[in-house]
Amino acid sequence: MISLKKDLKSRPKPFLLAEYCKGCGRCIAACPKHCIEYSNEVNPVSGYVPVVIDYSVCNGCGLCLLACPEPYGLMPENRKYEFQLTDPAKQFGPRPTAETEPREIPDQVIPLPETEPLVVKGTYAAAIGALLAGCRHFFGYPITPSTEGAELMAKVLPHLDGVFVQAVSEVATVNHIYGCGGTGLRCMTFTSSPGFSLMLEGISYLIGAEVPGVFVNVMRGGPGLGNIAPEQGDIKLACRGLGHGNTHALVLAPADPQEMLDLTMLAFELSFRYRNPVIVLGDGYLGQVTGRVKLPRYMIQPGLPSWAVYGDREHRRNLICSIHLSEADLEAHNRRLVEKYRLMEENEQRADLYFARDAEILLVASNTPSRMVRGAVKKLRDLGVKAGLFRPITLWPFPIEHLKPLLPGMERLIVVEASNGQLEDELRLALGREEIVPHPPIHHIRHYGGVLPQVSEIVQAVLEEKEVEP
Amino acid sequence: MSVFFATFERHAHGEGLKGHSTHYCPGCGHGVVHKFLAEAIEELDIQDRTVAVSPVGCAVFLYYYFDVGNTQAAHGRAPAVALGHKLANPNAVVISYQGDGDLASIGLAEIIHAAQLGIPISVIFINNANYAMTGGQMAPTTVPGQKTTTTPEGRSRLNGLPLRMAELIAALDGPIYVERVALYDNKRRVRAKKAIKKALQCQVENRGFAFVEVLSECPVQWHMEPVEAEKWVKEVMTRYFPLGVLKDEPGEPWFQLTPPSFQPEKLLEEIGASQEAPPRFSKGFPAHLDPEDIAIKLAGAGGDGAQTAALLITHAAINEGFDATHIPSYGPESRGGTSYADVHICRSEVLSPAVPDPQLLVVFNAPSLHKFGPTVRPGGLILYDSTVIREEPELPSGVQAFGVPFTQIALDLGKKVVKNVVALGAFQAATQIFPEESFLTALRQFLQKDCALIPLNEEAFRWGVKAFRELYGQVHLQPQT
Ligand code: SF4
Ligand code: SF4
Ligand code: SF4
Repeated sequence: MISLKKDLKSRPKPFLLAEYCKGCGRCIAACPKHCIEYSNEVNPVSGYVPVVIDYSVCNGCGLCLLACPEPYGLMPENRKYEFQLTDPAKQFGPRPTAETEPREIPDQVIPLPETEPLVVKGTYAAAIGALLAGCRHFFGYPITPSTEGAELMAKVLPHLDGVFVQAVSEVATVNHIYGCGGTGLRCMTFTSSPGFSLMLEGISYLIGAEVPGVFVNVMRGGPGLGNIAPEQGDIKLACRGLGHGNTHALVLAPADPQEMLDLTMLAFELSFRYRNPVIVLGDGYLGQVTGRVKLPRYMIQPGLPSWAVYGDREHRRNLICSIHLSEADLEAHNRRLVEKYRLMEENEQRADLYFARDAEILLVASNTPSRMVRGAVKKLRDLGVKAGLFRPITLWPFPIEHLKPLLPGMERLIVVEASNGQLEDELRLALGREEIVPHPPIHHIRHYGGVLPQVSEIVQAVLEEKEVEP
Repeated sequence: MSVFFATFERHAHGEGLKGHSTHYCPGCGHGVVHKFLAEAIEELDIQDRTVAVSPVGCAVFLYYYFDVGNTQAAHGRAPAVALGHKLANPNAVVISYQGDGDLASIGLAEIIHAAQLGIPISVIFINNANYAMTGGQMAPTTVPGQKTTTTPEGRSRLNGLPLRMAELIAALDGPIYVERVALYDNKRRVRAKKAIKKALQCQVENRGFAFVEVLSECPVQWHMEPVEAEKWVKEVMTRYFPLGVLKDEPGEPWFQLTPPSFQPEKLLEEIGASQEAPPRFSKGFPAHLDPEDIAIKLAGAGGDGAQTAALLITHAAINEGFDATHIPSYGPESRGGTSYADVHICRSEVLSPAVPDPQLLVVFNAPSLHKFGPTVRPGGLILYDSTVIREEPELPSGVQAFGVPFTQIALDLGKKVVKNVVALGAFQAATQIFPEESFLTALRQFLQKDCALIPLNEEAFRWGVKAFRELYGQVHLQPQT
């Protein structure tokens, strides 16, 4: 009995700084001794009527502490400190754990021996590129014609103690990536057009919260369910429509299995360099085409960036978040992002030129159509026509800096694409932004629904253009 | 309480009162749950490795307060984000904190699948029977008759009935612990605090997925005084959402992940890369077919093996040091209909991988012959399965056609499926594109994981070669450029 009484006495009594009380009264209802009641005046700082405690009756049972919703509302009294202090942090003692400064753990480049070329299809090549780039976490939802990439990951990752998750949807997929990428690890997905549409909201969050992640979109025919044949109808989404808000991401457009590997590797590097998702935009044909693929002479063992929300002491202070409630904060954040986009535009334009330097007729094409154009250019050159190929490897930013020096003396630009002018729009926008007027007339060859432009058709079209010339 | 930040710097930059008060309305249940959660994290000594995923809803700013790793998720997706964190660092203690609009409406797929997956994460589900942050609209958990801004007359039968999430989650096999608690009096609060700690404990012990539904007061959107709101939970909400433990399985610790491997040898082995150069048998590019670029098409019904034969030709060509591509027709078309494959073999680089006008065509059935026969270039060659195509086909001028009974030979060997390899043998004999050994090497590489099948396939190939030679001897092709 005596010891119990002693216990009761030593229990801390509740203590309250009036301005942190919101006057909800939950503690009043909770106190079995009826020793809490409303004070009789509004607190001038908080604007609420706080409660007061009658310590003569209070036995320190602590039930009011349990009822109070405010972290710095009712708290157990700490006798070690003076009560005059108004900063609750000081009031209730120093922090038991100090925040630590997170360190950047750099990636390691591991040399690889020279190996024989692999003979693999485009989706596999991209998956292999991801593995070489240090990706050991894959999230995805099956969709033709991208699924084989995921299937290879499902087969290989468990043997490398990696993680393969078949998500419940594309929406879940992009959010798994948001979580895993936010942990600072390299992760990716394979998808195709309708699935990519579903991921766009999440991609906007990734961009807003500056989370890296690689999205390989093997484009198929649309709109709607369309078909599973190759198209380039998502160029507008990838370049101009990555969800809501002021978004941009680097968009890499491979043209053969080798580039599916190389550009997927590059995508990871750029994604972490800029803390931004990167889109690898392939097409159904490219996903399926099997070809010779040379492995690079290195692979990456990723480190851990200092900003990661890894779930350990060092990274405890970090936050992955895209909300900025005050207008000024959100504007500042957008300005930072816009500056990042500017740096990407300045540093990351990439293009491939094929007989382009002296071309009078320059064909502009990306992905698989660019291969048909390559074939056509070869034929045209054999016929003595000065044709060339300008192949943007980055669709965003459009590699206008690579195009500019080719323009003098050029008679015509012909955009060859499997979409309704989405690549041409990027070209026109880039020319417009650079205020390149006048520029050579722009003509086009377009196909839809999985039909690709063929070599003979392109040759024919160019020859006809030549004929109508003065 | 050290799990809360000393100053809420993220709350309006910690200025003034906001540095130490929450953004919640007076009497809001969220604050009570936050305190329980903070205390549980402290008691379990897991602050450093905790990652809290905040939802969209009133608790969107959870990261203002908790001095732990924080991620703010899109509406409804917190469990997917939480899984991303947990799978990236299995040592992290990951909490998905969600409201009823978030979890029970837009994010239903994510929560159900995360729960069924059963990977240890802890879900704290705040049920306050409305969409509070957006101004008090109906939620899936709104009770019958409850007035909200979108059920101004009270939730009617036409607006549906409340969704009981704890029961739904408990019915799944994945979770190990599911409980519904409330905050309306001391006894319930003590219970709620325990439940939240237990949900974390399940994860700390790597035992499994835990889900705690908290009936939580939203005095503001319910238009009640906080104490009245407590009473409403007790008297009305608990009628639809009975309190108690719905599932509590002992569950052995099971969840663990080995850190990923970055061993180069292992990776190269997994992707099938080899340092050994395959032997070459060819004396040079088969220029007798075309000086630069040989275009081949193989076509048949799905299951005829046209794709495999095409891949073998591609492999053989690349082994010989040339560039080659293979592109299949794919999808529904390859499930029963015509399946065709385009192959290019180039001395230096394949420009366009499509083969609209093949020089060499191999067909396994009549429809394929009808479809692609007319596209063969003058000077080209067609090889067809004379077991199934009985009539001599009509051909474009300058094209030669040779029937070989692929199917019959395969049947004689006892395995119809090897007819594509028989065709490959005939193709070799007809075109002399590469030496026989070249194809046999590609075949062995292809079958290295099914070694037992190699002898039969080699035999099929040799029979194909032999059959063609016996029927036609040596053939001369005239490439036309
Ligand atoms: S500690 Fe117990 S007795 Fe004292 S004020 Fe709080 S509830 Fe009342
Ligand atoms: S419960 Fe807390 S906030 Fe509410 S009246 Fe009591 S002390 Fe004030
Ligand atoms: S609206 Fe309701 S749930 Fe949101 S903070 Fe206010 S009381 Fe809490």
